[in-house]
Amino acid sequence: MNVWLLASQVMIFTLVPLTWLCVRGDPRHRLVAFYMAGVVTTLLLMLLTMAFNRMPLMDLALTMALMSFGGGIVFARFFARHLQ
Amino acid sequence: MKTITIEALVAAAVLITWLCVLGMLRMRDPFQRMHYIAPPASLSVLFIMLAIFLQDGLKPESFKALFTALVLVGMNTVVTHAAARAFRMAEAKGWHPAKGEEVPVKATDEPDVAEPAS
Repeated sequence: MNVWLLASQVMIFTLVPLTWLCVRGDPRHRLVAFYMAGVVTTLLLMLLTMAFNRMPLMDLALTMALMSFGGGIVFARFFARHLQ
Repeated sequence: MKTITIEALVAAAVLITWLCVLGMLRMRDPFQRMHYIAPPASLSVLFIMLAIFLQDGLKPESFKALFTALVLVGMNTVVTHAAARAFRMAEAKGWHPAKGEEVPVKATDEPDVAEPAS
């Protein structure tokens, strides 16, 4: 087991408390946990790419970062307009 | 030496992420929780990117990791600001000023407040 695989195995468990935060509380808390989950997933995809030595998979991490950016902006605008 | 540096960088990235998730759990206010997104989106991704550069050298995948890091750093600032603004708008019901209402733009526009007697 290389360090990348070990790190990704440790980091994947950060999604458990984040999922818990995403399913309870008011929408503001859920949205913040959702942003954090996007960042963690991007880091996780980078680690898994190195762990499995499949370099083209780095595109997935890049795509995840870009998509979570768009998703974050859309959610923030939706929150400001409709969840007041 | 290079292997130890890579391992230290990756371990630091994972540790920072875990600490920030635990800190986010500990906080009770969404504005406080938002601060905990910044370290993984800046420090952790920087450490992982440096570790990738150390392991693979100047390869296209390393530059993809660099670009991912830049996107994450930029995204974090923009999205955090947008979310905080949305939360503030949701809290302050009347976000837009009423017709004819004077809105202070600079600090000097604020009405004078009497100094409390000492």
